[in-house]
Amino acid sequence: MTPNSSILFDNLPEGVFLLDAAGHILSYNQAACRITGYAATEIENRPFFILDEDHEDTIKFQHELNMAVQNGKWVSEGWRRRKDRTRYWAEATLSPVFAGDSKLSGFTVLLRDTTERKNRWLETKASEERFRLMVEAVKDYSIFMLDPEGYILTWNEGVQLIHGYSASELIGKHFSIFYTSADLIAEKAENELRIAQQQGIYREEGWRVKKGGSVFWASVVLTALFNDQNKLVGFSKVTRDLTSRLRDEEVLRDSEARYRSLVEQVADYGIFMLDEKGRIVSWNEGAKRIKGYAADEVIGKYFSIFYPEEDIINDKPKRELRIARAVGKYEEEGWRLRKDGTRFWANIVITAVYDQENRLSGFSKVTRDLTERKLGEQALQESSNRYRQLASELSIANDELSAANKELEQFSAIVSHDLKEPVRTVKSFLHLMARNVEQDQFQNMKTYIGKGIAAAERMEELINNLLHYSHISKSDLIKEEVKVADLFHAAIQNLNDSVEASGAKVTLQSDVDSVRGDRVQLVQLFQNLLGNALKFTRGRAPEISVQCSEENNRVRFMITDNGIGIPREKLEAVFEIFRRLHFSSEYPGTGVGLAICKKVVERHNGKIWAESVEGNGTTFFVVLPHNQ
Amino acid sequence: MKKYKLAIVENDEDERFFMADAFNAFKGFDIIGEFSNGDQLFEWLNGQPDTLPELILSDLNMPGKNGYDVITGVKANFPQIPVIITSTSSVSSTREKCVGLGAREFMVKPDIFIAYDRYAENLYKLISDDEDQQIRI
Repeated sequence: MTPNSSILFDNLPEGVFLLDAAGHILSYNQAACRITGYAATEIENRPFFILDEDHEDTIKFQHELNMAVQNGKWVSEGWRRRKDRTRYWAEATLSPVFAGDSKLSGFTVLLRDTTERKNRWLETKASEERFRLMVEAVKDYSIFMLDPEGYILTWNEGVQLIHGYSASELIGKHFSIFYTSADLIAEKAENELRIAQQQGIYREEGWRVKKGGSVFWASVVLTALFNDQNKLVGFSKVTRDLTSRLRDEEVLRDSEARYRSLVEQVADYGIFMLDEKGRIVSWNEGAKRIKGYAADEVIGKYFSIFYPEEDIINDKPKRELRIARAVGKYEEEGWRLRKDGTRFWANIVITAVYDQENRLSGFSKVTRDLTERKLGEQALQESSNRYRQLASELSIANDELSAANKELEQFSAIVSHDLKEPVRTVKSFLHLMARNVEQDQFQNMKTYIGKGIAAAERMEELINNLLHYSHISKSDLIKEEVKVADLFHAAIQNLNDSVEASGAKVTLQSDVDSVRGDRVQLVQLFQNLLGNALKFTRGRAPEISVQCSEENNRVRFMITDNGIGIPREKLEAVFEIFRRLHFSSEYPGTGVGLAICKKVVERHNGKIWAESVEGNGTTFFVVLPHNQ
Repeated sequence: MKKYKLAIVENDEDERFFMADAFNAFKGFDIIGEFSNGDQLFEWLNGQPDTLPELILSDLNMPGKNGYDVITGVKANFPQIPVIITSTSSVSSTREKCVGLGAREFMVKPDIFIAYDRYAENLYKLISDDEDQQIRI
């Protein structure tokens, strides 16, 4: 080596090695020392591959030497190892050195440490990789990179899903394969690229073709890509399949159409739309059937034509719309008019209809003809009323029957008890006498005959009273206005003997002039009540007051005495027929008087009851309706 | 023969006379009281007599407190004394009412006063059967 070349060799900034023909290191420069970490001459005569990461790979090293000989140069990039065993990335350029006779004399190796550059590249690569993965993973969009002419460079996952092609089928193809033949003839693909290049971006929605020829509705965005030098390097193309959105819209249109035809054909309900002012804008079959108008007769008219005159005067149609607008809905039942002027009973619902921006766009009105139902209800009501009346008549009849039945029961009880008793007594004494006569015993005969006669007389009295009671119960009432004073005086007159005999003081105080009823029966009523007051005195001089007043359209009599009174528990029993509280030896009578009173009062639709403090007088109350 | 202490309530004096006569002849009863109605019976019972009756035989229809009053009054204050109601009536509702109020039995009176001997026998049988039943229990 000449001194000049030696200086050059040592000062080259790249590591340089001289190898013999077998690849052993002959010499190396200072830069090589710096790169590898070995001192000068430290690795002379060692094979070059000791600088490799894999020291033992002689096969590869031999191959590299061969390739260098064969090609005149061999560049290998890869990991190398320094003396201190740390790694570095290096580019080694092997060049054969030939002696004058073209015989291989050795190799030169240029070794450059490119670790830093490599690391930068690796970082970029990692970032690009991440981005690539992201793009590739997108499924809802197909994303291509196109070269400036429109040939496909890269693709993502979405491509297969949207276009149906696999990657291998597309790479290198022109993107116009996605266009319909009509678009191809129109050179649409080329135009789009041009627009994208000129304006930076091109967007559209349109039909595109899938693998297999089917079309889809696509949203396409083409973006021109420029490098640092503002040179067009290609395009990105993002495509989205909008077919499903389109289908939704179509479904909506279909459903609207179906709904409209449904509404139009409904026959039982009048369904129509009003605009916000109440003008009719649609009309269905039911509306036609119920109201009698054909669609062309009413569309555009105000819906108030269905209202009776008084409703229009009252401004009812407008009010209904106002309510529907305020609360969303108006519902009512009422009379409406048909085209021919006849009325029908309608159930109507007006609903405010709003558009998507929530502005009132009109009203829907649903009308039902309830006339038949109403008539049905009316008929039902009438029949129900009829039945109710019938039922109440039946109930009255039933009450009357049960009253009659009760009376019959009472009568049979009377016959079996009260009338049988004296018969039994008579019969008993006759038998006794017969027995005694047989035995020739005559001493008590007169007593027995007397008892038999008394019993027969009692029976006669009972029968007479019973007949009287029966007469009071059954005889027709002759109703007339009877003066209260007349009733009172007639009763006193009939009782004259006992009034005088007992020295009674009887007073009448009446605010009422007259009462309506059967004179004979009412006299009997007062006569019996006054008679009792005169009788049950235990010797005291009777003081009897009769007061008569009117209250709530009824006449009330109070007959108060100062007699022996009635035990509380017998206050009701005293009105039963033949019911006696005392022995006839003490207070004679048959127990019919108050029963007759009760019967008379009941026949006059009144009430009778008694109040008493035992031993200290009784008050009988009689209340009669004033104007029967 | 056991004699039952009996109180008779009957407003018809003649009838009461023949009843007492027949019961005494039968010898099964010891008549310790005769009353014309419920008022008289209760006056006596409430006056704490030396001996209380073991049985009360009462007519149904009487002035003042009648047979029904006798049933309820005895049941309320002397529940240990059985009450037999007797009447010429054979109406079943009357019988049911008496038994419903608490009468031990309702017995229809004989056709005539002078036929009480058989009646007394039946009454005795009824009461002694009751007693046998109680002893067995």
